[in-house]
Amino acid sequence: MAKSLMIVDDSATMRKIIMRTVRMSGLKFERTEEAGNGAEALQKLGGSPVDIILCDVNMPEMMGTELVKKVRELDSCANTKIVMVSTESSKELIDGVMADGANGFINKPFTPEKFQEKLSPLID
Amino acid sequence: MIDQVCLSDALLEGAKEVFGTMIFMDIEESSEPDQQIEGDALLGSITFMGDLEGCMAICCGDSCAKTIAANMLGMEPDDQISRDDINDAIGEVTNMVMGSVKARLNGTVGNLNVSIPTVVRGQKIENSLGDPENKVSVKVNIEDEYAAEFLLLYREGSG
Repeated sequence: MAKSLMIVDDSATMRKIIMRTVRMSGLKFERTEEAGNGAEALQKLGGSPVDIILCDVNMPEMMGTELVKKVRELDSCANTKIVMVSTESSKELIDGVMADGANGFINKPFTPEKFQEKLSPLID
Repeated sequence: MIDQVCLSDALLEGAKEVFGTMIFMDIEESSEPDQQIEGDALLGSITFMGDLEGCMAICCGDSCAKTIAANMLGMEPDDQISRDDINDAIGEVTNMVMGSVKARLNGTVGNLNVSIPTVVRGQKIENSLGDPENKVSVKVNIEDEYAAEFLLLYREGSG
């Protein structure tokens, strides 16, 4: 079944790097979307849900932590998996965002192997 | 108070991790402490607060910054890369090196809250801020081709 991916990060460069790393990991997505912050992501998800969201933590307008809570309120995204991608790696943050409904956490800097390891179980 | 050797090691190791993993470039500490960055340069900086507070910065020349951006984006250095993309790439490198340094210092100074990075461009950007007792500077060679400097200005924070 075709899978879809959304990358949410306020840095356009980082969105391109994540997209490139996902490609290098060997994972295939039929449809990919991008958003520059949580509010833009929510707007796009309202019209067209995705299977996987890769989401930064620190962003303007709406933080990634807030986006996780909002996505979990959407019936249309009940099956969407959310993986946070951030330089922030405190236990408090990871525990909090996982409790709010995130499905995984990838630290920056990252490798294609890390994406493969974290995303494969979520899309199989 | 944390010692400067510990901070210097965290800075160099953090930078090596980011450059090795995401930028595919080798970094070695320079044997020339007086090395200068000539011409147009970029300075990426990020502040942190907690038991230790201050600023971490990366300074490198324009051509070095362009090569870093090209490698991060999977492009060739001769490809057209916009100034915005180069600035954005240096901001991300700054953010990731700070994240890597923070992880290395976590057991020593506890959690640090980090800001969003900023990048400025200029000529003859000099490291003139801060007292030498509260400043760590690591001068490096990137791929034996480019000079760059990693800096930490710090003081004991209020927690």
